[in-house]
Amino acid sequence: MHLLLIEDDAEAARFLAKGLRESGYVVDIAADGREGLFRSTEGSYDLIIADRQLPHFDGLSIVAMLRKNGRHTPVLILSALGSVDDRIEGLRAGGDDYLTKPFAFGELLARIEALLRRGNLPEVTTRIRVADLELDLLGRKVSRAGRPIDVTSKEFQLLEFLARRAGQVVTRTMLLEAVWDLHFDPQTNVIDVHISRLRSAVDKGFERPLLHTVRGAGYVLRDGG
Amino acid sequence: MSSARLALVYAALVTLITAVLLATVYLVTRSALEREIAAVIRAEVDDLGDDLRLGGVERVAATLRLRADSWGRTGAVFLLTDEQFRPVAGNLSFWPRDIEVAPSTPSYERMVEFEIAAQERGTAVLHPVEARIERLSNGYWLLVGADTSERQEVLRRFGLATLWGTVLTALCVWMLGAAYARRTARRVREYANTCQTIMHGDLTQRLRTDGSRDEFDALAVAVNAMLDRIEEQNTTLRAAFDSIAHDLRTPLYRLRVRLEEAQLRAGTSSEESQSEAQEVIAPALEDLDRLQRTLTTLLAIARAEAQGVTTHHDQVDLAGLAAGLVELYAPGMRAAGLDITLEAPVPAQLTGNRQLLAQLVTNLLENALKYVPAGGHVRVRVAKTPGSVCLSMADDGPGIAAADREAALRPFVRVGDAAAKAAGSGLGLSLAAAVARLHGAQLTLADNAPGLIVSCEFPVSPARGAPA
Repeated sequence: MHLLLIEDDAEAARFLAKGLRESGYVVDIAADGREGLFRSTEGSYDLIIADRQLPHFDGLSIVAMLRKNGRHTPVLILSALGSVDDRIEGLRAGGDDYLTKPFAFGELLARIEALLRRGNLPEVTTRIRVADLELDLLGRKVSRAGRPIDVTSKEFQLLEFLARRAGQVVTRTMLLEAVWDLHFDPQTNVIDVHISRLRSAVDKGFERPLLHTVRGAGYVLRDGG
Repeated sequence: MSSARLALVYAALVTLITAVLLATVYLVTRSALEREIAAVIRAEVDDLGDDLRLGGVERVAATLRLRADSWGRTGAVFLLTDEQFRPVAGNLSFWPRDIEVAPSTPSYERMVEFEIAAQERGTAVLHPVEARIERLSNGYWLLVGADTSERQEVLRRFGLATLWGTVLTALCVWMLGAAYARRTARRVREYANTCQTIMHGDLTQRLRTDGSRDEFDALAVAVNAMLDRIEEQNTTLRAAFDSIAHDLRTPLYRLRVRLEEAQLRAGTSSEESQSEAQEVIAPALEDLDRLQRTLTTLLAIARAEAQGVTTHHDQVDLAGLAAGLVELYAPGMRAAGLDITLEAPVPAQLTGNRQLLAQLVTNLLENALKYVPAGGHVRVRVAKTPGSVCLSMADDGPGIAAADREAALRPFVRVGDAAAKAAGSGLGLSLAAAVARLHGAQLTLADNAPGLIVSCEFPVSPARGAPA
């Protein structure tokens, strides 16, 4: 996977690129808006990570120009402007995701993963299967190894979000945004309680746990490990 | 337009009006005087015409001779001549040279003006005369006139008085205007100077008021009230800055200590020290997260306080929003031994910023989670009335002492015992209060006997449901 990182802070760019390369990505760095715009229109990247405030062209203009030229490369915007309104503005400009600085590297990685794998699974699927766990999206029913599992509607939403991204790390903020539509971080880890309830529903009584906690990052639904 | 120029313009206007007024009076007076003289002459001519008809030329001459005594005083001029303009009677010794009338004219009636020479204190003086000439029925010429020098003198004086009056009026108005303008300018300059001083940092300065309640006094009072408010805000801001500095420095300091410790351990490379380094790094990251949350919350407060110029407003169902958040927090609450109930029977629409309102409810719920001891009850209620939507959250926890309630809404103020103070950031309630204010509501804290009840009432106009 080939990523373009447009970031004018050399130190931050170096650090992020190093982390991303260690995670198996090929990363190009553009140090300002002009270079970023040039590279993003010339090269073929799987994903673009653009800082919002850049010299010459800001991140939002780059996204807007890309979209105008009919390019649908996913763009993740990084910004020190973190209010809800800034986020909404960033997403309206055509960004696919928005991350406020400073962020945990795990959060960035999880979001990149989510953007890259988006579309792997058709939206109009009716059934999702992870190992022996099965979600019936029409009937809103869950079963594991053929045995039905009782979940609340919120728990079903949580499980669906995780199941659609099976094998990917999903962070707490991603869950808050997607399931509860909350674009700020509560001080207490309310999500953890929901996950542990979900875990006891899904994994209790089974030998192989499916719902795992990834330390310092979030959760993942996968078979084993 | 400067006040000095304004005064000048007013003076010019007043002068013009005065001049027009006086000139009109002058012209009306002059024409009245002229008409009066003409009427007197006409009456004389008629009288003398009667004399001629009754007693012929002899009688006219007699009448004229009779009147000769009073001629000098009244300034009247008479002359009766035969067809050849030879004087018969009257006080003129010859037919005025500058008046030429053809002797053949059968009938004649006309007003004329000429001058006659008179001896006054030894010098010859020309007197203007206005007269009427008529050809009598027997062919004789009759001239009846009046010396108009006196009238002209009156008119001349009157004209002079008019001129001087105008000039004096202009002068007075201009002087008064200039004095007023100078007073105005002085006052404004004084205000400007005071403002300069204030701008250079001396916020204790105030504009001078004299209690006169005139426009300037009213302005000064208003400006002073504004300055009081700014100074008050400045003080609050300074206190907030001190608190921010403290609240950011403490975790930064801890972070530094931890990093230094990690650095020390990094020197040794045993397995054991690696896991010890992990033990240092985890709390350091937690410190960072806390710092970040404090900053984010502060920015959110600042945004909400800035009256949400850029914030997005849409239709929000507060009942639904509260229900979702109660559902989010319920498992956590139950795990902490708290019982939570929601009472939101009907949708409660209001126009507002969904995320900020969610943050308000979240902060209240988190406060309950932090401060209400196990076994407590939390009740969230959303009620709809015709003009408003009311949100309240009641608990039976320790509550907030009446004296501390107002302070509890200010940034970085933590109330309660030491443990309670340690638990919070001191920002939750102030953000909630700022969000409420942004939506035209006021967050109030009250005694739930026992416990705390937080409530705020959002105004909803029936038409649009828009907050102030």
